Amino acid sequence: MAQATATTADSKLWGGGRSPFNVSYGKMMMWFFLLSDTFTFGAFLISYGTNRFFSAVWPDPNKVFKAFPMMGHMSLPLLFVSIMTFILIMSSVTMVLAVHAGHYGDRKGVIKWLLFTIVGGICFLSCQAWEWTHLHSEGAWWGSFTDLSAPASSIEHFFRAKAISNPAFAAGAGMQATHDFYNFFFTITGFHGAHVASGVVLLIIALVNSVNGTYDRRGHYEMVEKIGLYWHFVDLVWVFVFTCFYLL
Amino acid sequence: MSHTHNDHNTQHFYEGDQSKLYSGVMNPHFGHDITAPDSKKQVGRIWKVFWILLVVTIVEVILGMFFSHHLPEGLVAFFFLTLTLLKAAYIVSVFMHLGDERRNFLITVLIPLVLFIWFIIAFLADGDFWLHMNSTSPTRDVAAIVSIK
Repeated sequence: MAQATATTADSKLWGGGRSPFNVSYGKMMMWFFLLSDTFTFGAFLISYGTNRFFSAVWPDPNKVFKAFPMMGHMSLPLLFVSIMTFILIMSSVTMVLAVHAGHYGDRKGVIKWLLFTIVGGICFLSCQAWEWTHLHSEGAWWGSFTDLSAPASSIEHFFRAKAISNPAFAAGAGMQATHDFYNFFFTITGFHGAHVASGVVLLIIALVNSVNGTYDRRGHYEMVEKIGLYWHFVDLVWVFVFTCFYLL
Repeated sequence: MSHTHNDHNTQHFYEGDQSKLYSGVMNPHFGHDITAPDSKKQVGRIWKVFWILLVVTIVEVILGMFFSHHLPEGLVAFFFLTLTLLKAAYIVSVFMHLGDERRNFLITVLIPLVLFIWFIIAFLADGDFWLHMNSTSPTRDVAAIVSIK
């Protein structure tokens, strides 16, 4: 008897007219979009890893990303990107606080935290613009590669370079590796940066709507929650990009 | 999550104006006081995760700056990937509130990600195989390509 009742309740639950997941349509679709985006970024990073695995040598991130604004030629590996990472984590916290304020219908809180998040997003994009400009000034760009006639010593700081005895092979391997490295670096950080930029646009729209009281009239701040999911996803992708390009 | 509602008083949300579902059923906090203890507790949880993420990132950077060149490559990769997955789990579970959703939904979102286990193993192994082919097959020797030029 108890079992029969449970079955009836179950079929009613999944039989339409209810939300068994207790998640609204828009939020669920945002999750599924993010899932598809996970596979896009995953494909990018895995193909980057595949290239790295079939390259005889590979550029060392501590040597590539060592510059800091106003510091000239000082070698400060990882320092600038650590600040970028901190900015993005911080903006993630202000975003989740905006979502939290939205849960309680606290308009002033939503406006305050959305503003902080937008500032964080713009700071991150500015840092990325500086980093790209700096790398470009060093000759790095899509399709750039090292000179084949360069002496073997020019790539001796690369991973596994010391294992190669043939200098001609080392030069060729160095050329291929720098070419692949920069193509992947600019494509993947560019794709991520485009996500951050569209996230900032979405946040500005949400801010304008909050200020105008659109969400109060609607009776809920679900839009802030959906944009929040997107923003956290962008932060999440950066966690993996940071590991793959700057740490490993 | 839905402890403030029972089936009798939520049914009308599904049958009537569906736009009220979110504030009526799925978000039990709406209109409650944001300075109440349960809200303060959630804010505290958010800041705790912030500190965890910050400390993990600092550990990663220190490891990357000073130690990663003096340890075996595999061990370094293991450390970095473990810490990365730890950060990802905190972001998804607390910041994206997936940990607060119903278990069915959590599983629905996470199961497709199992494919990544195969993707990563298969593609990296393939890359490694290619490197081996490159350095042993005379037709793929980069030195040979250089001499042609």
